[in-house]
Amino acid sequence: MTPVTANAPKPSKTKKAPEPAVALPGGYAGKLLRVDLTTRKCWAEPWGSRMRELLGGAGLGAMLLYRETAKRGGKGNVAWDDPDNRLVLATGPLAGLPVWGTGGLTVCTIGAGTNGPTSTQANGFFGTNLKYSGWDAIVVQGQARDWVYLYINDDTVELRDAKFLVGKDTWETQDALCRVTGLAGHQLSVYSIGPAGEHLVRFAAIQGDYGHVASKNGTGAVMGKKRLKAVAIVRGTKALRAVDPRGVLQAADDIAHDLRTDPSARSLYEYGTLPGVGNLSKLGVLPIRNYTTNLTANVPGADMADWEAPRLRANFDHRGHQCNACGMHHCHMSVIQKGAHKGRIVDEPEYEGWSGCGWQIGAVDRDGIAWLATECDRACVDVNEFGWITGWVMECMEKGYITRAQLGFDLTWGDIPGAGRLLRMISRREGFGAVLAEGVKRAAEQLGSPAKDCAVYIVKGATPRGHDHRGRWDEMLDTCTSSTATMETGNPVHPTEVGQPARINIFDGVQVAKNVAGLAGRRSFEDSLGICIFTTRTRLENVCRALGAATGWTFTVDEAIRFGRRTAAINRATALRCGHAGALEYPSVRYGSTPVDGPAKGQAVRDQWETMLDTWYAEVGYDRKTGKPWPKTLKALGLDWLARDLWGKKA
Amino acid sequence: MRVLAIHPEKCTGCLRCELACSYVQTGEFQPAKSVIRVSPFEGHTSYAPYTCTQCAEGWCMTACPVGAITINAAGAKDVLDDRCVGCKLCTIACPYGTMFYDPGTRKAFKCNLCGGAPACAEACPTAAITYEETWTGDWLGDFAHERTARILEIR
Ligand code: SF4
Ligand code: SF4
Ligand code: SF4
Repeated sequence: MTPVTANAPKPSKTKKAPEPAVALPGGYAGKLLRVDLTTRKCWAEPWGSRMRELLGGAGLGAMLLYRETAKRGGKGNVAWDDPDNRLVLATGPLAGLPVWGTGGLTVCTIGAGTNGPTSTQANGFFGTNLKYSGWDAIVVQGQARDWVYLYINDDTVELRDAKFLVGKDTWETQDALCRVTGLAGHQLSVYSIGPAGEHLVRFAAIQGDYGHVASKNGTGAVMGKKRLKAVAIVRGTKALRAVDPRGVLQAADDIAHDLRTDPSARSLYEYGTLPGVGNLSKLGVLPIRNYTTNLTANVPGADMADWEAPRLRANFDHRGHQCNACGMHHCHMSVIQKGAHKGRIVDEPEYEGWSGCGWQIGAVDRDGIAWLATECDRACVDVNEFGWITGWVMECMEKGYITRAQLGFDLTWGDIPGAGRLLRMISRREGFGAVLAEGVKRAAEQLGSPAKDCAVYIVKGATPRGHDHRGRWDEMLDTCTSSTATMETGNPVHPTEVGQPARINIFDGVQVAKNVAGLAGRRSFEDSLGICIFTTRTRLENVCRALGAATGWTFTVDEAIRFGRRTAAINRATALRCGHAGALEYPSVRYGSTPVDGPAKGQAVRDQWETMLDTWYAEVGYDRKTGKPWPKTLKALGLDWLARDLWGKKA
Repeated sequence: MRVLAIHPEKCTGCLRCELACSYVQTGEFQPAKSVIRVSPFEGHTSYAPYTCTQCAEGWCMTACPVGAITINAAGAKDVLDDRCVGCKLCTIACPYGTMFYDPGTRKAFKCNLCGGAPACAEACPTAAITYEETWTGDWLGDFAHERTARILEIR
């Protein structure tokens, strides 16, 4: 296969006005890399005039999806598997700069889970290598005839034959590409799909740099459909300029100080998400055996002392494995010390791995869970949805709703080798795995009640993160109303900075809904900067200061929040075009059920759901009936053009 | 003298040191021009930074035909830009691979201990690089020993 190399701007055949020459703000590389897999063409697109409006990451991706995925000459949106779907792999203005955790990747696409828009993040060194190569984002369209991978080395951009990579898992793919290029470690950042992406599993993820996953809404299936096996970016040689480099370093120091000392960030700084298991179990938010209990004592062999963060980490031979410029003690590479997988190198599971491959499926063998969670990453399966589907199958087998004849073997609570077997069946669509590969919602609907009523999902087709949201209503509401198939607003960080109360009654639906609406905006802003949301757990003011020093703009907290809400409104417009109406914003029977025991026992979210939706809609300024943001909401955000698109000329 | 001591077991591979070094040395963030390099070991599971040890022999200095390498106030071998003719002999002479050549400026460049305030040590969040008074600049022996032991253990 002849490689295609393109570094000059594509000669424009359209009548579109050329990008005006503007002085580039600091922090940006200045170009988007466009890749058309059908025609095998790659070209550069300058975008300087739109940077302040779109920033990067989630903001840039939302606009690209809205502008470029409408069905040609008709109503509606292209589906996730249409060659016209876009796969946006974007970073942002802070990526590559010395603020902690600045290797960020945001994936925006029409995802296979909900068949609607997605914004999902990973870190590592993607953003760093991309920026130092001279690019702010990659926009992929079309569909390759044969498997290819995208190779980027500064201005050299090539679509290369990937036949030799097919069938390899994501770690093997990165190993192989390191061998081919002769590079090692962070000299080459690789984001790829494993067998699950190749087989179009609806909850396939994109995994990179040994342990970082853009996991939500089947982005890996989109990559698989496009026959793009991997993106490999050599650590570039170009320079990044900050308008005020001292200012960037000062803001970085202040942020680092907050992360080290602020009580709400400090445990993350020391142990990443490991303390989540212990802490959330005390709130009834740790999912145990597919939402059938909230008592850790109901899992045989569970000893909560083993789950305290220092002991959990010390169970393995471990080494820090941080993302770009990051001083957290979060990501680790571990070696299993005992048992069936002794000597295996694994990525220390996040809280989500301990819950999805552990508690949710009734397992507490820490070595086994670490192995299984890493196998999920390697197969490129979203660890959350894997947990929901595996726990569901286990419960259904126990109750006789799924039989041994159907599945091919017995799968009982806590059976890690069995779960590993299920993972292989799902990622290769073998036997009953083909049903499960469609994701929790579709599999549950195919089997119907009573099996269906045991499944945890959002009617839209997504699944929650690794919690029991019956004790965390804010996240349930956020996940169900979101236009991106996962949380859109996110957890409160310094809520008083944006006028929200420091504490609310978490089981008062109205307070919860007002809070979710009132906090909207921050998350989409953070996800547009090329930085990790854990290293932005500081006052937004500090993040804005870092952005200002990098770019040279005076960027206020107000502008940040407005920016985030604009991004959410644009995603909402795309979601509506994809047919996501209000009827889909409900938890499944089990997801919205009432806990039978534990700290949240008896708290019935479903009783308050309609009130919560009414309140949320009124507070964000969207129309409950049609789902559209009101014209006055859009105009207040400076989105007059979108108001006209959604409501017609009179708006 | 004070030297940069490396504690490889603490390094997380975050590359902050490369960023800081390039900024102090060039005024821009450009790790490609950093004179400290972080290398992966044991596949991709551990990392360690590596820069000029300011070795006692000073091979680079001896090799330079025009005397462009001197010892600065911090005790570091330093390249005098206006004297360097870009012949690259020093890059061949250095047994540790810590002498670099910039095709843009056509000059050799290396760690000059930032004149006595090493940016890499300051930037490292885990204290994997420290600036210390030591009895020897040669920490490579211990370093190699530790690495080898770990590899044998894993296999
Ligand atoms: S560059 Fe090499 S030869 Fe010169 S002082 Fe450093 S280690 Fe020694
Ligand atoms: S002391 Fe200065 S020049 Fe030497 S490696 Fe560290 S940052 Fe670079
Ligand atoms: S800054 Fe410290 S932890 Fe990070 S790569 Fe350099 S030596 Fe390692």
